[in-house]
Amino acid sequence: MEGKKYSIKEDFSMLALLIIPVGVAVNFVGGQLASLLKLPMYLDAIGTIFASLLCGPWVGAVTGGLTNVVTGIANPVNFAFIPVNVIVGLVTGFLARRQMFQVWWKWIISILIMAAVSIVVSAPIVVLMFGGVTGGGTSIITAAAMAAGANIWAAFFGTEGVFTVLDRVISFLICWAVIKVIPARTLIKFGCGSNYIKEKK
Amino acid sequence: MEKSYTEKIQIHKANKLAGLHPATKFLVVILYSVCTFVLSSIKLTKIGLPLAIIPWFLVVLVLCAVSGAMKKCIKALKAVAFIALVIFLVQTFIVPGGEVLVRFGFIRICEKGLKTAISLSFLILNIAGIFVWFFQTTENKEIARALEESGLNYKATYVFISSLQMINVLSGNSKTIMNAQRARGVETEGNMLVRAKAFFPTLVPLVLGALIGSEERVLTLEARGFSMEGKKTHLFNLEKSGAEGTMKITAILVTVLIVIGRAALWIL
Repeated sequence: MEGKKYSIKEDFSMLALLIIPVGVAVNFVGGQLASLLKLPMYLDAIGTIFASLLCGPWVGAVTGGLTNVVTGIANPVNFAFIPVNVIVGLVTGFLARRQMFQVWWKWIISILIMAAVSIVVSAPIVVLMFGGVTGGGTSIITAAAMAAGANIWAAFFGTEGVFTVLDRVISFLICWAVIKVIPARTLIKFGCGSNYIKEKK
Repeated sequence: MEKSYTEKIQIHKANKLAGLHPATKFLVVILYSVCTFVLSSIKLTKIGLPLAIIPWFLVVLVLCAVSGAMKKCIKALKAVAFIALVIFLVQTFIVPGGEVLVRFGFIRICEKGLKTAISLSFLILNIAGIFVWFFQTTENKEIARALEESGLNYKATYVFISSLQMINVLSGNSKTIMNAQRARGVETEGNMLVRAKAFFPTLVPLVLGALIGSEERVLTLEARGFSMEGKKTHLFNLEKSGAEGTMKITAILVTVLIVIGRAALWIL
């Protein structure tokens, strides 16, 4: 990557356009599987992360936004969380461009950044629009903390924090496992794909 | 007479309200949301509860009923109502502040809690409700076509429609993969670690398969001239039910009346 100039339009190649629906569907299926396996996490950003890792921040942002639009058709409450998923896509994409997923210690930093950003963005939405609870699995803990007298913001950050980090770790590991097995001839077609190809010496 | 393929894929709706052009419906949704916010600022009773938005919700129900989609709407509304209910209960019973209104044993209802409970839960119920009406009476194909009519790039509409289809495809695939992995001995029940581990052998093949598939789809689409410049023709066209004008005028009139009413209350 020798200071190549990026244009947003270039990001949206034909292949990138077709990755967006895949990402949206993977987000959806991931969330479904998580509830099927009764995991206490949403795991509904795997597709967003995957699209951002391969095609950069803008494609990731569109994937994230579209996911909530599509799930919002069944349950319009999801519209409120469009910004969260968009930001997740953007941040992951920029991290991927900065080659923040090359070494293991960079992974840890990146995952923490991703988790932190998504909590910070979702906190105001959950607290101001929904009063701290959304009816999800972790809501009970938040509500209990609030009943015990904790500040609404503290209650939210405390409970969501732990689960979001876990959520992002699992999501990222899945994406990484997939990227590892994609053949190089396919990877090269993606915007950020060349970052993940190991050169043969 | 045998119908041709292009006739078969058109959508005909007998109901005038359900058959409205999506753009008109969307105008109704926007104006309704504006009205909800205006109404929620009206404070009634001694302690200032925003009660006006509770009867306002009936408008959504009437719209659903008149559109003849009551059953579908109720089903979708249930999920929204559940969230609204949880918010209502949590806010009423947990948030302290202001005067204590009712007290039984350890449960108490405070003024501030009740106020935020009503305004939050009914704001969500109202706005989500009108969107439910919009989406339950409009087919995805119609939304996509209307978006394209309003000037959105055809590639964007394709991505939208294709996402909806992809969800069905991948949901089906994920079930197949999960069953296959179970047959090979991957455990999907047990403690949390075991269940979390089962996540990987299902999702990795799923994503990989979808990725390789989309590579092939690029070739298919390109072979059919998808990215060709030029005027496109459409097989599916939107119909107007004829009630667009009336509906638009009614919606605007109601909004104006509500805004004037709110302003009058303010001045008086």
